[in-house]
Amino acid sequence: MLCLKKNNLKGDFTMERRKFIQGLFTASTLAVVVTPSALMAKDEKKAKLKGPNDMSFEDAVKVITDGKEVKDSDKIKLTVPEIAENGAVVPVKVEVDHPMTDKESVTAIHVLNTANGNARCADIMLTPANDKGYFATRIKLSKTQEVVALVALSDGTFIKAGKSVKVTIGGCG
Amino acid sequence: MAEKRKAMVKIKPKKYKVGDTVKVDFIVIHPMDTGMKKDKKTGKIKPAHYIDNITFSFDGKPFTTMKVWESVSTNPYFSVNYKVTGKGKITVDYSDNQGEKNSKSKKLKPKG
Amino acid sequence: MRKLLLPLAFMVTVATAGEQFAMSDADRAMYKEMLENNPAEIYVEEGGELLEENLGGDEALAKFLGVSEKELPKYIAGFPRYIKKLGNVVGVDQVLQAMEVEQGKKKTKLKSGKMFSMLAYVKSLANDEQFTIDIKADEHIKASYALGKKTFETPRGGRGLSCLSCHSADIVGQVLRTQPLPDLGKVGAGATWPAYRMTKSSLRTLQRRFQGCMKNALLKVIPIGSKEMVGLEVYVSTLAQKEKQPIAIPGLKR
Repeated sequence: MLCLKKNNLKGDFTMERRKFIQGLFTASTLAVVVTPSALMAKDEKKAKLKGPNDMSFEDAVKVITDGKEVKDSDKIKLTVPEIAENGAVVPVKVEVDHPMTDKESVTAIHVLNTANGNARCADIMLTPANDKGYFATRIKLSKTQEVVALVALSDGTFIKAGKSVKVTIGGCG
Repeated sequence: MAEKRKAMVKIKPKKYKVGDTVKVDFIVIHPMDTGMKKDKKTGKIKPAHYIDNITFSFDGKPFTTMKVWESVSTNPYFSVNYKVTGKGKITVDYSDNQGEKNSKSKKLKPKG
Repeated sequence: MRKLLLPLAFMVTVATAGEQFAMSDADRAMYKEMLENNPAEIYVEEGGELLEENLGGDEALAKFLGVSEKELPKYIAGFPRYIKKLGNVVGVDQVLQAMEVEQGKKKTKLKSGKMFSMLAYVKSLANDEQFTIDIKADEHIKASYALGKKTFETPRGGRGLSCLSCHSADIVGQVLRTQPLPDLGKVGAGATWPAYRMTKSSLRTLQRRFQGCMKNALLKVIPIGSKEMVGLEVYVSTLAQKEKQPIAIPGLKR
């Protein structure tokens, strides 16, 4: 279906196009009349479909931190698009401003989401050989939600940073 | 026989010395099926099929391990840093939830 | 201009469209960075291997086309073009098919993963080059360009739409299905396909993209490799040529 922001189409409004637009109007009013329950049932069925590793964000955090306190930290630079062109390939970059030595280091970066069935995307266990607390990947987001970088430090503490990503579902072709 | 997975390991920048920190990029062709999508042709749900473990090693010594979930994109990309200690080989070993095991390597050739 | 009475449901969509979906500079930078690690590069590499194993690689391709290997990149940048021994204006994929026939090998379908990979590899040989399509070179390319332009501009299908309906100069920037419509020349559409399509997680070619567009606009889908499709590719490539967009394969698209 076509939704044009402004009607700027030049040229003649052919009979076919006029008919189509009138048809659009009728079709949409019809659509409103079609039983919502039929549509709801389909949606409910979709929601019931569970993935093999489904886990909520809160539970995932609990599992990773073993219930320990997690503080927001600006030591973590989380780069994600404000608006993702599509939900299938969303770039994520995590950079932690923290030493990477044998004495002090970033031991793990956990990339999580807040609204997919499985909140866990990837758990990266780093070592001083990495030299930097850095990780990048691309993830799937089922809809607009937050992406969270949960970072484990060698002293046993956890810090995190989260950003919202707007997922657009649209486009042609 | 398992189908050989197509993959790429890239080191950036192209020129580096011992002591430099390079970026190790790994891309692999893999469906990363979540187990919740239907096969358009058969109408049946495609079983979950995703990479679940990755290990990055240098000359056989692991320096990064990853636990990967189905929320990662199809044909996934992973990137970490590595401090160059000398000439050698970086190997990425990866396996998926269906038991497929694969490996891809890239030689490290520091200049100076 | 006649006002369109948009039904309520549509009005909601239209109200939320527009500036909200314009890409920020930071986002644009992120997507540009993704080009450096494009999964399609693996398919391009595969295409090179297929060409080497099955047809004799760049050397055999250059020989078939009657150019030196050194001239090959600039020559590839002139596709689609008239190939005398094939008697038609053709795309790279059709040349590869002809090579298969000449070598007594089984023809690879134009609409197949194998062919898309090989096509992407060959076109990538022309990376950083400007298109060298000369629409005045001979009668054949002249006709192909004219047919392509006509196909681009002719309204057809149940909605009476043409490519021009969404891709004319005065429509550029308007938002359709949450995406701002691009200037095909300025974004170098002809120069950046074959590309990795994120929504399809696969390598897609320009003509295949045309087919997807036609499907959405309720236009009858034209077969890949047909005179009209090749003409369309010539036309759309010249749009990039006019804007001096260099060839950059593989591209990365939504």
